[in-house]
Amino acid sequence: MASRYRYIEAIEKHAGLLGVLIAIMVSIGGLAEITPLLAKARAVEPAPGYAPYDALRLAGKDVYVREGCQTCHSQMIRTLRFETQRYGDYSVASESVYDRPFQWGSKRTGPDLARVGGKYSDEWHRLHLLDPRRVVPDSTMPAYPWLKDKELDGADIQARMRVLRRLGDPYTDADIEGAPAAVAGRTELDALIAYLQGLGVRNASTTEQEIAQ
Amino acid sequence: MSGFWSGWVKFLVVLNLGITFLLFLAALFVKIPTQADGTTGHVWAHGVLREGVRKLPRWWVLCSSLAFIIGVVYLALYPGFGSFRGALGWTSVGEYERDVAENAEKLEATLVPLRSSSIEQLAEHPQSVAIGHRLYLDNCAACHGADARGNRALGAPDLTDEDALYGNDADTLLASIRDGRSGVMPAWGSALGREGVNEVASYVLSLSGVQAPQDWVDAGKQRFDAMCVACHGVDGRGNPMLGAPDLTDDVWLYGGDFERVAESIRDGRGGEMPAWRGRLSDDEMRMVAAWVVSQRSATTRKPDRYPTRTGE
Repeated sequence: MASRYRYIEAIEKHAGLLGVLIAIMVSIGGLAEITPLLAKARAVEPAPGYAPYDALRLAGKDVYVREGCQTCHSQMIRTLRFETQRYGDYSVASESVYDRPFQWGSKRTGPDLARVGGKYSDEWHRLHLLDPRRVVPDSTMPAYPWLKDKELDGADIQARMRVLRRLGDPYTDADIEGAPAAVAGRTELDALIAYLQGLGVRNASTTEQEIAQ
Repeated sequence: MSGFWSGWVKFLVVLNLGITFLLFLAALFVKIPTQADGTTGHVWAHGVLREGVRKLPRWWVLCSSLAFIIGVVYLALYPGFGSFRGALGWTSVGEYERDVAENAEKLEATLVPLRSSSIEQLAEHPQSVAIGHRLYLDNCAACHGADARGNRALGAPDLTDEDALYGNDADTLLASIRDGRSGVMPAWGSALGREGVNEVASYVLSLSGVQAPQDWVDAGKQRFDAMCVACHGVDGRGNPMLGAPDLTDDVWLYGGDFERVAESIRDGRGGEMPAWRGRLSDDEMRMVAAWVVSQRSATTRKPDRYPTRTGE
């Protein structure tokens, strides 16, 4: 017994060795638990009717991420009655296949946005993004006035679409070819509004399918 | 989940539970070598800290065993053991749907008697009005305001006055909620020119009794008769079929000062009321309409407090 104890003592008394062994154990644990999830994530097919973001909405999604909207807004309606009563059908994984990174979020200072598309007019979004207090007097959301001054760069959007195609999003040559024309003269504000108006716009339930899988 | 990964998860679960179980067993038999002073001889911090040997407290062993048993029972009843769905067949979606069905059933008792009532009758019904108000705050207040007085920056109409663009009977109101409205005022700036816009604006303001330079009003009337009467009517009283506003009253969608009126004429307006049929049920839309009617008919309106936001 005493002799076996020596090994434990060696680990306990050498911080470097302890650190290396901990790293090995955590890696094994991580590999064991994370690899099945990766395999599962790859198996998720897009929900019916879901296409990759068009050029303008793709630009808007990147503005959304850049401005950190996910810090206060989730895009994940949980399977809870009080959530679906307020926001619409609960979210399913197949709706997020084209989101890199996904925008589910875990923090709601503002409301969930998973199905905000079409809930308000474009003009409402314009006023609201430029100065939220003009439409919601007690809003705590920051204003984003600079969005209206920045024009989109078509070549930049094209480059992003090419990268996404390489990652597996089914963009066609025509999609990429047409991107500069689609965003010509449009501002980041236009792009963000287009993105928001497209969120969960098909408010149809895709859940039956998800369960069948 | 494919067969391989399901098997993988099962393997990990068995491995981990097995290791834990063996540890429990080993703890019963293991003998820790102790020295004469009752410690293991392990020292830290140059002998300041020494490792003593004590039996695990009974409550700790009990709680741990209990946790182990709960873990095994959980995996037998609920999903977690690979693709095994658990003996109870529980799913989050199933639980959600049960909850929705239960709530719908409870609500049905309230809703059935309300379905045969007209919207005006619902406006007198406290329960319907309360539900309608809650739905209004969640869906409509962002544009029309928590107090339903509208928003001139947006052109969202005041819902508390008797004035209504498309007619103020309850069925029209319900149609506006259900199908939405798309108001289109074309931009006349390039057709009228700067001066023309000022003249028409002056005439329009004069219709509701605002003082304006007479020569501009006269010139504006001629232009108005040529360009605006198709929608706003010869007398400027508007057309509820088109949602063209009455210009002779002092109700203004976008504000009634000269600059705002000129802006409406020059740049046009595109007021958008979204359709709610995809988000609200028929019952819900009727109760929202009833709440709006109740606000409208209230002769003395109490100053509306802002709703207390609960949760999130």
